[in-house]
Amino acid sequence: MHTSIDHAPTVSGRRVRPNDQRHGTPRRILRKFGGVPYLMPSLAILLVVVVAPIVMTLIFSFTSYSILQPGEFVGWENYRALLADQAFMSSVKQTFVYTLIVVPLQTLLALVIAEIIAKRFPNLFGSFARSVLFIPVLSSLVVVGIVWRFLLDPRAGVVESLFRFVGLEQPNWLGRPFLALVTVALVTVWKNVGYFLVIYYAGIMGISRDLYDAAALDGASRVQQFVYITIPSLRPVTFLVVVLGTIWSFQVFDLVYTMTGGGPGGATTTMVMSIYQAGFQNYQMGYASAMSVVLLAIILVISLFQRRLMGKEK
Amino acid sequence: MTRSRLGRAFWTVLIVLALIVAMLPFFFMAITSLQKTTSAGLSFDLSRLDLSNFARLFTDYGFGSAIVTSGIVVVIACVLNLVVASLAAYAFEKKPFPGSEAIFVVYIVTMMVPVQVTLVPLYTIIKELGLFNTHLALALPIVNAFGVFLIRQFMISVPNELIEAARVDGASDLRIFTRIIIPTIRPVLAALAVFTFITTWNDFLWPLVSVSDNRMQTVTLAAANMVGNLAQQYGLIMAGATVSFLVPFVMYLILQRQFVEGVTASGIKG
Repeated sequence: MHTSIDHAPTVSGRRVRPNDQRHGTPRRILRKFGGVPYLMPSLAILLVVVVAPIVMTLIFSFTSYSILQPGEFVGWENYRALLADQAFMSSVKQTFVYTLIVVPLQTLLALVIAEIIAKRFPNLFGSFARSVLFIPVLSSLVVVGIVWRFLLDPRAGVVESLFRFVGLEQPNWLGRPFLALVTVALVTVWKNVGYFLVIYYAGIMGISRDLYDAAALDGASRVQQFVYITIPSLRPVTFLVVVLGTIWSFQVFDLVYTMTGGGPGGATTTMVMSIYQAGFQNYQMGYASAMSVVLLAIILVISLFQRRLMGKEK
Repeated sequence: MTRSRLGRAFWTVLIVLALIVAMLPFFFMAITSLQKTTSAGLSFDLSRLDLSNFARLFTDYGFGSAIVTSGIVVVIACVLNLVVASLAAYAFEKKPFPGSEAIFVVYIVTMMVPVQVTLVPLYTIIKELGLFNTHLALALPIVNAFGVFLIRQFMISVPNELIEAARVDGASDLRIFTRIIIPTIRPVLAALAVFTFITTWNDFLWPLVSVSDNRMQTVTLAAANMVGNLAQQYGLIMAGATVSFLVPFVMYLILQRQFVEGVTASGIKG
């Protein structure tokens, strides 16, 4: 207490008349950069595990770095090879197809379920439903992949018994090329809906009640209210959900690894799977880095696109 | 009147159906893990219920050490992320210096780059640092700019007058940080802790490429490895998945609010 009183005049004096201080004194510079020590730990870690790897990915992508050689500068060689690499090109195509299935489906389902819960069940049942639908979200993709692989396995016969129960033949979910990709996409939707539901639900709750009351007075049905009030009001939310869903889709790996391992015949190999195979199974680090740069470019374009449109919204 | 009641029944059935679809896979996972059988199907015999699959996870498949490893990595990741991120957010928001905003922009930009993209150099760096097969190596890549961004958003609400008043009373920056900032931002720290916990526990790709020593396997990695190694030992595989699932699940039951906050905030970062 005593010491704080002793120091008080200097401290408050400095605060009240900052312009009286002469610029450039060591003490003042020190004060000016007083935040630096607090930033240091974070900056150091980020430089090592995020910034340096980003820069190195770019550099590696122009080298022949592999387990056999430290890597020489090869110019655009890796990128040229990528264009001719059938397996990589189909992994790009498959990632796009996967995204085109996942994003519209999970967005629509999340929106519709959020609307039903918000409008029909503004009660304990509704909040219970939201909590339960969130459980697939918190579970890891590995667990989801393992469990669905088991459920769909004809030898284990879980989904098969359900199909037989309604008198249908179970399709060979993970055994046929295109169907396997669709199946992985559907499991992704199953896992993600609860997450986007939470975001949509918050969005719907944020829409003014007056809008609905006025529409109801004018005789608008629930469906009309949904189409003409809810959906337009949720545009920024939908935007977030679509962009986030797209970025996540381009990062897909765990689910493919555990459900199909990229098969059958490479039909479910996604871009990250290709990177993993090139970098950590074939040890062609330079080549894998070039793939990473392509993936990064796609993700950045989506993010920048988001930023521009978001800016326009405001 | 009957029409609206019919409508209500319809919507209730629809939502209940959605809940069943969401929960049924976990239900099958749990009952299969409790059975010795190698094929499950829809039959479930209470008399065959036993815990031998779980016992074997620990005796034969290293789940004991996996749980310890995951636990240590989670603790390191949470402590590191929380301490480092809140200090950095304090610097950015309350003690800015020339150039700090430029650094913050770099932070924001790095949030757009997923870890999948930087896997190869990250592996090289961790190897060069001699950190291979250490807990730190598994925890470090969890630390990213998102935590800093999240805490900074929250720290804006700490009034500058409060900080000035403390400074007038002679409080040092560090004291202001520990006595004023930290207590005010406690809710966001809780949310970030839960989020970091789950991200670390569920992390798969980085442990997959960076762990070569079996004793350093995380639970998620151990559970995934069982699929390839055991083919049709469904009971055993499902037991591994159940253990991996239970930790986030129990945490969710206890800390539901922080959970949804943390995970939702992660989406807003976009």
